[in-house]
Amino acid sequence: MKLAWQNIIHDRLRFSVTVLGVCFAVFLMIFQGSLLVGFLRAASRLIDASDADIWITARGVQAFEFGTILESRTREMAAGVPGVKETGRVCMAFAVYRTPNGKQQVVALVGADPNVGKHFPVPDAPGAAREISPDAVLYDVSDREQIEVTTLPAEVEVNNRRASIERQIEGFGAFLGVPFLFTSYRNAARYIGFGSDEAMYIPVRVGSGYLVSEVQENLQQRLPEVDVLTREEFAHRSRMYWTVKTGAGGAIVTAAVLGFLIGLVVVSQTIYASTMENIEEYATLKALGASQGFVVRVVLMQALICGVAGSMLGLVAVAPGLSYAKTLIPWIYTPWWLPLGMSVPSLLMCSLAAIVSVRSALTVEPGKVFRA
Amino acid sequence: MPDHFLGVENVKVSFGKGEAQVRALRDVSLFFERGTLSLVMGPSGSGKTTLLSMLGCLLCPDEGEVFVDGQAVNKLSEGERATIRQKKVSFVFQAFRLFHSLSAIDNVGLGFEIREPQETRRMELAEELLVQFGLGEKLKHEPKELSPGEKQRVAIARALAGNPPIILADEPTASLDAEAGKNICELLRKQVDRGGRTVVVVSHDSRWKKFADHVITLSDGQVERKGKKS
Repeated sequence: MKLAWQNIIHDRLRFSVTVLGVCFAVFLMIFQGSLLVGFLRAASRLIDASDADIWITARGVQAFEFGTILESRTREMAAGVPGVKETGRVCMAFAVYRTPNGKQQVVALVGADPNVGKHFPVPDAPGAAREISPDAVLYDVSDREQIEVTTLPAEVEVNNRRASIERQIEGFGAFLGVPFLFTSYRNAARYIGFGSDEAMYIPVRVGSGYLVSEVQENLQQRLPEVDVLTREEFAHRSRMYWTVKTGAGGAIVTAAVLGFLIGLVVVSQTIYASTMENIEEYATLKALGASQGFVVRVVLMQALICGVAGSMLGLVAVAPGLSYAKTLIPWIYTPWWLPLGMSVPSLLMCSLAAIVSVRSALTVEPGKVFRA
Repeated sequence: MPDHFLGVENVKVSFGKGEAQVRALRDVSLFFERGTLSLVMGPSGSGKTTLLSMLGCLLCPDEGEVFVDGQAVNKLSEGERATIRQKKVSFVFQAFRLFHSLSAIDNVGLGFEIREPQETRRMELAEELLVQFGLGEKLKHEPKELSPGEKQRVAIARALAGNPPIILADEPTASLDAEAGKNICELLRKQVDRGGRTVVVVSHDSRWKKFADHVITLSDGQVERKGKKS
């Protein structure tokens, strides 16, 4: 297959254009893929951070950010269902935040009981730092500019009540365009004006020896007026709401598909031009007795070499691009498998791009060789 | 009874349709003896290249039979004819038809890759051939760095890759000066005398006459004259 390689490097300009086309496609696919994965992850980040097996929500709640108040007896009734080991409370509401400089803005305030999970961002979670008060307010480092806090602790106001911001956390940055603030359930209920027995969500932990699905069913029978979802079901519902119902996911996927198509067009154009320029050499190959498979391999190999080179360049280019994007879009996320996984569509793209060229090379009349 | 090693029998070939139809060969029967060099001459349009295309399994006649290495080939599929080309027949072209991106040795090596894919010593064999042809100093040269005579010698070396019994040459000296042309004539003659190959040369070049065992003249798609060199 030296012929394939030599044909490519013999026309360096065309090779460079092809490689850049693949590189652009790979860059766009990985970038858009990272946006999509990050978006999906952020859409259910708080649900996933809980240790709860089951979430009880008001009927028809589509996403964590749009919860409504559950009846006060719901938690007590849930606690009485066999298999329920522990229940907690979570609430989320938009609140008015006044910065230390006096500027006002809207924030998403999340409050949760300490038993919701050790990864859930609450100040009084088990294992949390002792030096902060149980009613402290936490914010994500990526929201620092919006929160306008320069030193900790900082005295601010939430819904006209004094609050103390005492710690910054990571991984729970703004997803709705407004910053998140996290605090204890008790504190959040005070800011929002909830009663102590009211909640928006009741995370439930199932005792050992009980099946989650059975407890879920029992809870649903006992509480027919609410939705009883496993953590995965609620996370999935939340992700589907943000990606499908808002159209945001469609926009991201469309951009990734466009990247794929642009790469496809660039590679197919250049491989086709190269094949047609060397069409008499393919006729010579056939006259020399080369099999159809041999001819296909020469064309396909050229496309795949471009695909591999372009993919590698794309991977090199996307790393700093994503690094920079993370400073602007904190929830963007590139799992380790995404760059590796993108090599499959990029090689597929190059193979598809070679189809027309393969056809031309296979159908060339070998008798052409006699024309001087 | 002719030796059916290589030749055509009652073949008719025409191109185009209706008034534009050209009858390239009209009921031609012609056989080439094993281990000889035959020269096919004739004016342009006499059917020389059409004849060569059929002998090389590149073209099927409208009627008649084509024999290559004793086998009737005109009813074979394209894949089977490609196998005949791979194993039995080799070409030398007027325009050399070297692969522009490959060096001399890689061009010959490609011949081995196509004809003897299992051969692991293909580059050594390619080098041996080129050294035999006086191109030992130009193994790594690309076609654009070679003179026309050198290009044709590389093309002949490529044609010999895999040791095919039949070589078909289409105007192999038309693009060469007198000295280079003579070298090519001698080289192909050697393939008959030392290699026992069967060589068919189509040419306008009368220099070939003294190297040929047989001279056939085509005219207007028919055999005009067929003679054995005295």
